[in-house]
Amino acid sequence: MEKKSIWKRIADSREASLVIVLILLCAAVSIRNPAFMTLSNLEEILKNNAVTMILALGMLCVLLIGGIDISIASTLAFTGMSVGLLFKYGYMGSTLLGFLLALVIGAVCGFIIGLVIGKGKVTPIIATMGFMYIYRGLAYVIGNSQWAGADALGDFKNFALGKYLGFGVINNVIMVTVICYIIFFFVMKWTKFGRNIYAVGSNEEAAAISGINVSRVKIAVYTIMGLLSGLCGALATTVYASAQPDMQTGKEMDVIAACVIGGVSMSGGKGSVGGALLGSLILAVIAKALPLVGINSLAQNTVKGVLIVVVIILNVITKRVMDKSALERREM
Amino acid sequence: MAGKSGRTISATPENVWKKQIFSWEGILVVIFLAVIVLCKLLSPNYTFVNVLREMPKYLTEIFLLFPMAYILMLGEIDISVGSIVCLSATAGCLISNAGVPFGAAAVLTLLVGAACGAVNGLILVKFPELPSMIITLGTQIVFRGIAEIVLGSGGSVSPTNMDGYRMIAGKIGPFPYIFFLVIISAVIFAVVSAKMKYGRSLYAIGSNRRTAFYSGIRVNKVIFIAYTLMGLFAGIAGLFLTSATYAANTTTGKGFEMDAIAMAVFGGIATTGGKGRMVGGVISAFIIICLRIGLGQINMNSQLILVIIGILLICAVLLPNITGSLRLKKRD
Repeated sequence: MEKKSIWKRIADSREASLVIVLILLCAAVSIRNPAFMTLSNLEEILKNNAVTMILALGMLCVLLIGGIDISIASTLAFTGMSVGLLFKYGYMGSTLLGFLLALVIGAVCGFIIGLVIGKGKVTPIIATMGFMYIYRGLAYVIGNSQWAGADALGDFKNFALGKYLGFGVINNVIMVTVICYIIFFFVMKWTKFGRNIYAVGSNEEAAAISGINVSRVKIAVYTIMGLLSGLCGALATTVYASAQPDMQTGKEMDVIAACVIGGVSMSGGKGSVGGALLGSLILAVIAKALPLVGINSLAQNTVKGVLIVVVIILNVITKRVMDKSALERREM
Repeated sequence: MAGKSGRTISATPENVWKKQIFSWEGILVVIFLAVIVLCKLLSPNYTFVNVLREMPKYLTEIFLLFPMAYILMLGEIDISVGSIVCLSATAGCLISNAGVPFGAAAVLTLLVGAACGAVNGLILVKFPELPSMIITLGTQIVFRGIAEIVLGSGGSVSPTNMDGYRMIAGKIGPFPYIFFLVIISAVIFAVVSAKMKYGRSLYAIGSNRRTAFYSGIRVNKVIFIAYTLMGLFAGIAGLFLTSATYAANTTTGKGFEMDAIAMAVFGGIATTGGKGRMVGGVISAFIIICLRIGLGQINMNSQLILVIIGILLICAVLLPNITGSLRLKKRD
C-alpha cells in the first residue's frame, strides 16, 4: 500500500483545519486588541475554561460510545455543594481530602447513571435527563438552599491561586487540566480500554460479538464522566471561590458544543482527544474575544450560537465536497 | 383472506379490553388516580376548584408536549423550544407595547414562534447528516440570545396594556380558557397521529427513515411541518405564559424543553422514534401537573419535587425494560 505523504496526511486531518481556525482566530483578535496575546490573559482563559476542557474529555468518551450525558452540570453542582458544605461546617480542612471526596462522589453519581444505561438499557438522553433533575435537586436539598461563600471555604479556595502543582510556574488548575489531557491521550490511543470505547462506538453489535463486554464499557465510560464532573465540581468551587446549588447551569451544552466543533461525531465512533481540546479552546477564545473586539456583551450568546451552527454546517459541507471528490477520483 | 401461499391471514385482535387495561396508558391512568388520592390525603386544599385555579401556569407546558411528541415519534428531538417560548413571549410584549391591537399582536407572537421552528426545520431538512440535538442546541442559544439583545440590559418587559392578556386568561365557570384549548388540541393531535396520513407517516419515518422515503413518504416535508408546528405551539405557550405571569424576561421558558420531553417519555413515547401514543403523553402530563400542584400546596421544596419527577421518569423507562428482559430470560 502506498504510504501517504506527511503533508497530505496533515491536509486531510480534521485537527489541522481546527488548528488553522484557532490560529486565525487568535491572530485576528490580537490585531484588533494586542492585550489578548499576553501571558496573563492566556492563563486567565485557560483557568476559567478548565472546567469545560476537562468535561470535554469525559463527553468525548460518552459521545464515542454513541451516548450523551446532559447531567454533568448537575453532578458538578452536587459534588461542588457537598464539598463546599463540608468545608463550611468544618467537617473537613484538607484540600487534598476535598478533591478525593469530590472524585468519589462524582464517580458514584456517574456509576449509577452507567448502571441505568448499561444494564437497564435506558436511552442515554432520557436517563441523564432524569439524573439532571435528581442531582440538581439534591444539590439544593443538601444545602437547604444555602451556599458556601469564599470565607467559608478557607484554604480550599487558595488552590486555584497556587502554583505548587505546576512547579511554581503554571497555575494548579491549568496543571490539573494538562494532566487529565495527557492521561486521556494515552488511554484513548494505546490502551485496550480506549480502543474498546472506539469499537463499541463504531459498531456495538460487532464489538459484542468480538468479545467486548459492552455494558461494562458503558458503565465505565459514564463512571469516568461522573468522576471528571466531580473533579470539575471541586475545581469550579476553588476557581470561583464559592459553591452554589445553581452553579454552572447549562454547562453540558457548552461541553457538547465544544466536542462537536472539535469533530466528535454525535453518532459515535469518531473523535479524538486533540479534537476535544481544540474544540473547547476555540469556544474559549471566542467567548473571551467577543468583548475584546467590541461586541456588546448582550449579543455574545447570539454570536456564540450562530458560530456553533455555522461551524457544524461548514463541517457537513466540507465533508460532502470531500466525499464527492473522493468518488470522482475513484471513478477516474 | 387466503394469501398467495394458501395460508390465511387473520388480523382480528383478541381481547381488546384486556390489552387496553394492561397497556402503558392503562397503567398511567392508575398512576393518575393514585396521585390524586395521594395529594388529597396530603393537602386539605387539594380541591377541584383550587387545582384548576393553579393550573394555567402549568398548562402552558402541555402545548409544547403535543408537537414534541410528534418530533420524538420521528426519532428527532428539539431542545430549542424553551428559547422559542422566551423569544415569542418577548416579541409579543414588545409588539403590543408598540400600540398594535391585541389580536394582531397575538398573531404576530405565533408567527415569530412558527418562524423560529421553521428555521430549525429548514436546517434539519437541508442537512440531514446533522443530529437534531446539536442543531437545536445551537438555535437554543441563538433564540434566547436574540431575546437578550432585544430586552437590553433590563432583561425584562411587561405589556403596558394588559386587557388583551387578561382576556385570554379568563374563565368559564371554574375552567380557564386555556384548559379547553389544551383539550381541543390534545384531541386533534391524538386523532391526527392515530388516524391521519400525516400521523402515520410520522411513525413510519420514526421506525425507519429510509424505508419511509422509498415507500413514497415525503420525509422532508413531514419533518419540516413537525418543527414548524413545534415553533407555532411554543408561540402559543409564550402568549399564555405572558398572560399568566404578566411579563417576559430572559429566563422565561428555561427548561421547558426538558419538561415537555419528560412528559412525553413518561407517557411511553420513546426518543428512539416510531413508538408511543399521544394519549399516554397527555395523561402523563396531567400526572406531573397534578403532582406538582399537590406537592406545592404542602410547601414542599420545589427542588425536591424535581428530584421526585426525575426518579419517576427513570423508573417509568427502567421498569418496562427490566420486566421485558426478565420475560426474555424466562423464555430462554
